[in-house]
Order: sequence, then structure tokens, then C-alpha cells
Amino acid sequence: MFVQRRTKGGIFAAAVVAAAALVASALPAHAETGVTSSTIKLGVTIPLTGAAAPGYNKIPAAMNAYFSYVNANGGVNGRQIKLVVKDDAYSPAQTLSVTNDLILKDKVFALVGTLGTANNEATTRLVNSQGVPRLFVNTGFSGFADMKKYPTTFPLFPSYATEAKVMGKYLADNFAGHKVALIYQDDDFGMDALKGFGTAGTNFVAKIPYAALSQADPSVVGKWITSIVAAGADTVVMFGVTSATGALAGGLYKANLIGKVQLILGSVGSDGTTLKGLLGPLAPALAGSIAASFLPSPADATDEYITQFKAINAQYNAGATFDNNVLVGMNTAMLTVQALRAAGTSPTRASLIKAIETKGSTWASAAFSPILYSPTSHVGYTGYWFGKLGLDGNAVSVDGPGKYTLYTTDSGSAPVVKACNSSSNASEGIA
Amino acid sequence: MKHKSPAVRLLLLVLIGAVLIIGSGYVDQLRSYQGAQAAIFAIAISSIVLLTGYSGQISLGHGALMAVGGYAAVLCQTHLHIPYPFAFLVGTFAGGVAGFLLGIAAARLRGPYLAGTTLALAVGLPSLANQFHILGGEQGLLFDVGNPPASLGSDFTQYRWFFVVAVIAAILVFWLLRNLLSTRYGRRWRALRANPTAAALSGIKVGKAKVLAFTLSSCVAGLAGSLFAMLLGLVAPLAFTLTLSFTLVTGAVLAGVSNLGGSIVGAVVLVAIPELSNTAAAHFGGSDKVTANLPGVITSVLLIATVLFVPNGPKLPRMKFLARTRQ
Repeated sequence: MFVQRRTKGGIFAAAVVAAAALVASALPAHAETGVTSSTIKLGVTIPLTGAAAPGYNKIPAAMNAYFSYVNANGGVNGRQIKLVVKDDAYSPAQTLSVTNDLILKDKVFALVGTLGTANNEATTRLVNSQGVPRLFVNTGFSGFADMKKYPTTFPLFPSYATEAKVMGKYLADNFAGHKVALIYQDDDFGMDALKGFGTAGTNFVAKIPYAALSQADPSVVGKWITSIVAAGADTVVMFGVTSATGALAGGLYKANLIGKVQLILGSVGSDGTTLKGLLGPLAPALAGSIAASFLPSPADATDEYITQFKAINAQYNAGATFDNNVLVGMNTAMLTVQALRAAGTSPTRASLIKAIETKGSTWASAAFSPILYSPTSHVGYTGYWFGKLGLDGNAVSVDGPGKYTLYTTDSGSAPVVKACNSSSNASEGIA
Repeated sequence: MKHKSPAVRLLLLVLIGAVLIIGSGYVDQLRSYQGAQAAIFAIAISSIVLLTGYSGQISLGHGALMAVGGYAAVLCQTHLHIPYPFAFLVGTFAGGVAGFLLGIAAARLRGPYLAGTTLALAVGLPSLANQFHILGGEQGLLFDVGNPPASLGSDFTQYRWFFVVAVIAAILVFWLLRNLLSTRYGRRWRALRANPTAAALSGIKVGKAKVLAFTLSSCVAGLAGSLFAMLLGLVAPLAFTLTLSFTLVTGAVLAGVSNLGGSIVGAVVLVAIPELSNTAAAHFGGSDKVTANLPGVITSVLLIATVLFVPNGPKLPRMKFLARTRQ
């Protein structure tokens, strides 16, 4: 009796095990957080309210527009992408609170395009402890490429040191013999730049530091102008935020120096739309300035990415004006989709990170610069092209429309490589 | 509370703290984080209650004093390598020094002038970080207090540890403040708030009492700031914005500005508002823009309603301490 019952139980147990094995083989081995059979949930934190919101608040809608386009075309391996957007008002405290929500409550699979250096720093502990992939963070702080400190984080934008090195090369090639002055923001941003110019061996007749946000003080701008005139500079490199570029343009205008001094602007301080908003009728004063960029000009109708993004924008983004912010949002979303596809049919956080590290460098992206992701590097873009600002505030390549000379290098001591890239920035076509 | 001795108060508070800390083992990480946030807000709001509710001075700049505390704690931990509990003490002390200096000016000012001065501080002080390299500029300085003590076990989460630290700090602050307010200092401040002239006529040194209140309030704000830095893992100018200063004042008003226990209610309300608005937004749908602005709207409406209908704060049951100290 006892034996028989045990046998019965044994058969039952075996049946259960077999059934379980069948079910297990039919289902993904381990259901990853934020991934179901029909959806993948992603999260982004970005300022939608507050002083930093204008411009940036267009990015999530642009990302969503691209995801809607992909979802309408079958999604990623049959899964629809869902983006949870959280406002952090650009305050790191707020970023941490809403990221807690995203990771612990909404249970997103990954974070994408989270904006701000301090904001991303504040969530690093949480992101690292939970192993959440943090893709294509929206900041130029080169520190995020440190894989030991930020193992799941992938910065995308080129570092400021890279930019300064590239600019140094451009100056050496095109402005040899000119008297060049440098204005820079006196913090890590500017220090990174000084380091880059140092590596490039650029000589400045004057180096003019200014404290962040002090550009609003007319006496500070006055000091810039006096220093420029005293040094007899005919070329000025501006390595600051957009409002500092605006203040400089105003100062030059007042001193009647417009047209007498060639301005060269860093990518941070040269967004045409924002400058137009800041300067109003003074905006044409900046026409002819040279600006570094890594994404194509949003006004470039010959660029296949711009054309396609514009079409998606028209169909899925309720008539938003197509500008740099929309371009950044769509480009981030396009890379995200490629990453999710590459992560396999049952994506996990680990497979996503592995996919970016092993395949990320081959993906299509709107920038001309290659992406340097590899199992030993989380460095994203590494290159810039130079454009001239037109009267409408948009940059046109110095080599003529549709022709781009790309300068690439790293944040360290590698040389700057110059490449003509007149035709296409695509490596695989649009995802 | 009238006739409870300090020892009884401490016992009560320790009991409540023990319940909270044990209870924190039964909630998820998100709640632990929110609990820590509420405890830190409660400390910060209590500093406003001490200042405004008792000594009758107003400050719109307590966010900046929190920044002083936070930065002092981080700098000491980074450069002098002192253990972090001592960093909190340094933060408290630094807040007090800043508050003392500010208090000397503040004691000569009243009403809108005082509000303006402290407001200027809230606007200006955090951006000082951009002027000196040692303060780390816009991206701030990291503050790593390390993992929870290993003796607590491996499943004791970081957020739960923060909650425990914040609750212990809050209990100490509330005990000290409650005792202080029932001494002659507390009575002097109340006299001062009711009528400065009458207080002066009764022999109270108005200036001295005001400066003392400002200094102590700033000590508490400094402590809150260093705890806030622990929770964020960093200090940065953007973490101590004008909005933070206003949030603290809002919390104090919501809870009845002369009610120490009420600061806990205020803190819980402040933490709960984004949660509620998220639920509401999820329920009713609506665009990102609506969702993003909803917490601000709710806070403002609550603030206006409080000032209109219950200017002294919602009437809390007079079970006094127990009822008011609940999370």
C-alpha cells in the first residue's frame, strides 16, 4: 500500500516536472523586468518644467514619435516599445525621486536618453545596484565613459576634450598665423577643453575664463571685450553655453567689432534656434561664425536621416518644428531600437548591454562620426564637422552644403584624423 | 506634552522610531526611500517651525542653508576622510555658523525685508559652487556613505539604511527641539513672536534671542542638508534650488507653522503629493505636460486652501506627540 502510493506520487511528481519543463521551454527562460511578450518598457528623465525645459522638453515627444513609427511597423521582435516620461525639472533630487519610480515602481527595462550630468550622477548608485542599462545619456561629460564606475551607462555625445582637440586641429589647418583668443567656462567643462587644446598644442594670445552663469553680468562681458582688444585677437574661440555666446555677440556688437573678429563656437553654445531666440534682431550678428557639430544640420535637406526623421516627425509628432532637439530625440530612439533588436528575441538587461558593446559601433546613426562602443570602451561619438552659421541661424558645412569634413579623435592623446565624408553618414540604412 | 519629562519624551520617540525601523523591513525599496525623504523633510521643516512658528522670523532661504550643511559634510568626508556620522555633525555646525552670520543681519530686518534677504541667499548661494573649483561646479561633488553595515545582513537595502539613519536623526532633532521649546528659550521666542515690543519691555533681549533662533534653526537645516546629500549621493547647486526653499515653507504652512509635530505631517504630505498626482494622471490619462505640472498645481491649491481656511494648520487630534509623530 505504502509502496504503491509512493509510486503513484512519484509518477505524479514526474508528470509535474515534465509539464513544467514543457511550459518552461515554451516561455522565455527568465522573464526580464520591463519586458513582456508584447511590450518593452523604457524610461526617460528630462526637464519638462522649469528654467531648463525650453528646447529639451521637445525631446521625449520626438523619441515617442520614432517609437510610434517603429511600433506601427511591427515593433521590435513583435514587441511594442513603451516610453515612460518623467519630469525632473533639471534638479538631481527630483531626478532621483522619479528614477526610483521608473525602476522600482514602473519597472522599466532600461533608461534611455536621461539628461544632465549631475542628474545622471544622482541616479548612478541606484542604476548600478539594480543593473539597469542606461543608454545614450544626454550629456557631454566624458566621465560617464568610465566603465568601472558606470558599468551599464553608455554616453553618446563626444567629450569636450575631444571637441577642443578637434578645434585645435581645425585652427592649425585654417587659422595658422592668426591671433586667437579663447573664452571658456571656468569649471570641469572648460578644464576638459583646456586639456584638449593643450594636447592639440594650440597657442592662444589670451585665455579668458569666466564663472558659469556670470555671462549675464555686463561687466564680465566688458572684460572679455577689453581682453580681446588688448591681445589684438582677430579670432575668438567661445567654449561656453549658448547664453554666453549670445552675451559675447552682444558685446562685440556694442564694441563695433562685428565682422572684424572671426568667432569659432563650441557645439554646446551654437544651437541656431536657441541663439535666434536669445538674440532676436541681433541674431544676424553671428552670421559667418564657425560652429562645431556632430549631428548634421537639421536644415540639411540632402541628408537622408534628416529627410526620413522629418517625415516621421510630420506623421507622428503633431506638427512639432523640426530642430536640433527633435533630431537628438529621434537619433537616440533610432539607436535604442537597433540596440533592442540586437539584444535578441528574449532580451535581458545583460544581453542588451552585450549587444551595444559588441555591435553598437556598426549601427546606423545620424551623426557623421563613428561610434566607438566595444567590450572595452563605452565612448560614443568621437568626431565633429565645422559649419558656418547663416543669416537664418542654421549651420552650413564650410565645404559647402552636403559636403562634410569630419575630424575624429579621442579624449586622450590620439591624433586628430581628418576625413572627407561628402556622401553618406549611413552604415546600414535607417533602422 | 505639557508635563512630560524629557526622559519620557525620549522613550516615546525611541519607541516610535523602533516601530518605524522594524516596519521598514516589511515595505519595498521605494517606500523606504520615500520614508527617508519624509524624515529628512520633517527635519528641514522643523527648522522653519522653530524659526517662524516660534521666533516669528521668516526665511525663504533655508534651501541655501541646507546646501551649506550638505557641502560642508561632503567636503569634510572627501578631504579629511572623517566617518560620515561625523560629517553630519560638521554639516550641522556649518549650517549653524552660516545661520549665525545671517541671523545677525536678519535680526535687524523684518517682514518683507527679511524675506527678501533670505530669498537672495536662496538664489545666490548655490551658484557659488560654480566660482570655486573645490565645490565641483555644476555637476557637484559625490557623497558616498558606503553600504549598510554588513552585520545587518545582505538583504538590508541601501534605502532602508538611509531610512534608519534619517529616522534616528529626526528623533534626536525632535527630542532636542521639543525640550528646548519648553525651556525659557522657547517661552522667550513665543513672547517675541507675539509682540516684540512687549517682549523687549519684559526684559527679553530681542536681538540676541532672534540670532539664537536663527542659528539653531540653521543648525537643523544644515543637518537636513547633509542627510539630503546622503540620500542623493551628491551635492550640486541644482539640488538646492529656490524651489526647495519654497517647498520647505509650504510644508511648514501646510502643517501649521507653530506646530513642531505638524512638520512630520507636512513632510509626509510633500512626499505623497507626487505619488497622488501620478496615480491621478494614470487614472485620468492626459499628456506629459499635464502630468509634469500636476504636483505643482496640487501643492499650490493645498497651500492656498490652507491659508484661506485653516491658517494655523489643520487641527490635529490633541493626542499630542504620539498622534503627531506618526509617519
